[in-house]
Amino acid sequence: MGWKRKRKHEMFDFASKRRWFLLIALIIMIIGAVLAFTPGGLRLGWDFKGGFQLVLEPYEGTSRDTVASKLNELGYGGAADRIQETGGDYLIRMGELGEDDQEALKAGLGEIGTVLEGETGYISPAIASKTTRDAVIAVSVAIAVMLLYITWAFRKVPHSFRYGTAAVVALVFNVLLTFGIFALVGRFFNWEVDPLFITAMLAIIGYSVNDSIVVLDRIRENKSRGIGGDYDSLVNFSISETLVRSLNTTITTVLAVLAVYLIVGGPIRSFLMALLVGIVAGAYSSIFVAGQLLVMWEHGDWIKLIPGASRLQRNKA
Amino acid sequence: MMRGRLTRRRPRFGGNGWLLLLILAVLGVSIWVMTPSGSNVLHRQRGNLGLRLGLDLQGGTHVVYRGVFSENTTNDEKSFDMDAAIASIKRRVDSYGVVEPVIRKLGTESVDIQLPGVEVDEALALVGKTAYLEFREVEMNGTSVVRLSDYTGGSRTDFFESGDSGVEGTPINRLFVGADGLPAVFIVESEGSLNYLDINGNPIDPGSIDATLDTALSWMPGVGDVDGAKKVLTGAYLTKAVPQYPSADAVSGEISVGIKWNDAGTDLFNEIALRIKAKGDNQTPQRALGIFLDNELLSAPEVFPSSMTESSYGSEASITGDFDSSEARKLAIQLTSGALPMPLEISYGPKSVSATLGADFTQRAFMAVYIGVLMVGLFMILYYRLPGGVAAVALVIYTIIVLAIYKAIPVTLTLAGIAGFIVSLGMAVDANVLIFERMKEELRAGRTLKAAADAGFSRAWPAIRDSNITTFIACGILYWFGSSIPTATVVMGFAVTLFIGVAVSMFSAIVVTKTLLMLLSGGRLAKRLPLYGVEAKAEARDV
Repeated sequence: MGWKRKRKHEMFDFASKRRWFLLIALIIMIIGAVLAFTPGGLRLGWDFKGGFQLVLEPYEGTSRDTVASKLNELGYGGAADRIQETGGDYLIRMGELGEDDQEALKAGLGEIGTVLEGETGYISPAIASKTTRDAVIAVSVAIAVMLLYITWAFRKVPHSFRYGTAAVVALVFNVLLTFGIFALVGRFFNWEVDPLFITAMLAIIGYSVNDSIVVLDRIRENKSRGIGGDYDSLVNFSISETLVRSLNTTITTVLAVLAVYLIVGGPIRSFLMALLVGIVAGAYSSIFVAGQLLVMWEHGDWIKLIPGASRLQRNKA
Repeated sequence: MMRGRLTRRRPRFGGNGWLLLLILAVLGVSIWVMTPSGSNVLHRQRGNLGLRLGLDLQGGTHVVYRGVFSENTTNDEKSFDMDAAIASIKRRVDSYGVVEPVIRKLGTESVDIQLPGVEVDEALALVGKTAYLEFREVEMNGTSVVRLSDYTGGSRTDFFESGDSGVEGTPINRLFVGADGLPAVFIVESEGSLNYLDINGNPIDPGSIDATLDTALSWMPGVGDVDGAKKVLTGAYLTKAVPQYPSADAVSGEISVGIKWNDAGTDLFNEIALRIKAKGDNQTPQRALGIFLDNELLSAPEVFPSSMTESSYGSEASITGDFDSSEARKLAIQLTSGALPMPLEISYGPKSVSATLGADFTQRAFMAVYIGVLMVGLFMILYYRLPGGVAAVALVIYTIIVLAIYKAIPVTLTLAGIAGFIVSLGMAVDANVLIFERMKEELRAGRTLKAAADAGFSRAWPAIRDSNITTFIACGILYWFGSSIPTATVVMGFAVTLFIGVAVSMFSAIVVTKTLLMLLSGGRLAKRLPLYGVEAKAEARDV
């Protein structure tokens, strides 16, 4: 065993830097939460807000392209994504529009077709705010049950509750980081929260905890085999051993997502971006959040998380 | 805590032989499902491998319904009733199995509906019907039954029976149906006179009514007492409805819809049934209970003395009405979802609507699947060599099985669903990566391929097990949540696809990869360590 250890893994001392890793994670989580949950952070899309819908019966010679260029002319960009053909008609979805804008739009489109009044009007959100709230509750319940399961699965290790907590904190980190980056980048690209984004978050919640569990499982196994001496080096050693796996799984998944991005891209760019961030965050947090949290907990030196606090303590002493 | 697996041995070909058979069988069935002949048996469409695609990729059917409201309904009331109708429509569409429809309120009195796929006539029939279920009894004049001629012949200004006066909310009327059970004439009492209406609610002259209707029975609403107030027995008192098929050995079986009353409904039904039973002798018209759906007489079974006790008819009943199995299923769904507060009329469509994303996305999405499999497979081969190649084969098997399951259920694939599937490719090889990393360690330690593979699999197992169970937990809770809330089908659909992906990936990573590797372990390739990504130096050292 000793031979294997020496030969294979040049250990990097993750544990001694845990204070900084956790501090960074904490800051990222706070920023993510602020960006995601303050007004104006995440912009809600059509399915959450509803908007104005219009059905146009085209005159002869009016094509989808005609409608698109007309919309552009009237000052509405991204026209291609707004138009759906229904029978021979065009179904056009707009965002929220004031009365004047609605009239101007109807008049403008009236030049190339007949606006069907009966089918034109305000569309209510497909996803009610209650649904969003219920989804948050469901996810919270899911996370709580995950915590219980991991605690149970690690019951043969001392303090198994810590392992469950570490995995769940890493999971929350992944979610908040994705929220934060989506809000930040989305501001420049006018991304909106749509059902796709919700799906991406669910995927991250379902998958990204795997990374942490792989790392924690190594710690569990190495501990039971008495490898690694003190807790710090046990965690260091286990992380080093799983590094290749973390990297490779991330690479394969990123490769797959990139394939979609390059070939399909377009309307699901924001969805893929969220997935990519979540996947990379999962690998990162398994090492720099879950593992470090365990070491910090073992030492109980939470005070180190406050910058300057340790110096203060030393000075006192 | 060393696990004793390193020394465990299985009979060499026995276990693997069976597993190989299992894999080939599963693969064979999956490939067959994906072929056109599989499509025929499963009644799937041609093209796109017979997979059911969502609105965003394939388009579907677009229809706008407008609520039919009486004149003095305010906009607020319309909007409120429309919300209730939409909730009911969503429940109906979901129960029918149309996944990821788009159902949205348009203005205050219309609903805009898009359903994936083109064969949606059945689904639309389900949506458009009010499904107002009502129970009526025959009106009596003393000891004889009242017929339409009793009203048109005399110059009556009020109803013969007044048992339903003072009921709030529902219109108090008498209903006369033709021989076909369809409604023909309504009589409504208002301000001391009787008004005759046709089925559309327009006033008619009693003299103009077809004489064949003269003998039509006068059906009055079945009214009973609920919490001190008079109420009409309707579908609102149901807790559930299920289609019931006659058992195969029944002599004369009829398809029916079984219903279950809630507590108030049980009491109400009991009160009405007891009253009807007391109205006359066996096999007289007045002993009939009229079951009406949207004013059409479905059936009028005779009320017999209760089989349970003298005074209780219990909380369950069944509705017969010459249904075929699809009608019974639709009615059960409609009754369970609740009646619409008002009738709907189609104001636009049904028209076929193009994909929200444009047609070329379908081809691109499929292309992305193939490229994704290719890239992940290539990476595995380049990094892990021979075992990587085995994993790549397992990945292709994974893809075929998952797509076959999608097709068989069927799962409605949206672009997000396909992207999620492609992500799962990366996840699917995760278990292999875990196993192969362990295997390499064992090979470096000088074990034989078979021992290394055995150790790799069993040592990677706890991590694979725990991470996948955690994902299953997430799936279970999201599914439960999605199924309990009608607007959250996106969440439910995602939970299903995630579950399928993780379950099949465990099968492919553990059973398929392991069986294939074990087959190799007997051959000459087993000795050539560079094929496994381990330096030859280690080989020399340990041989």
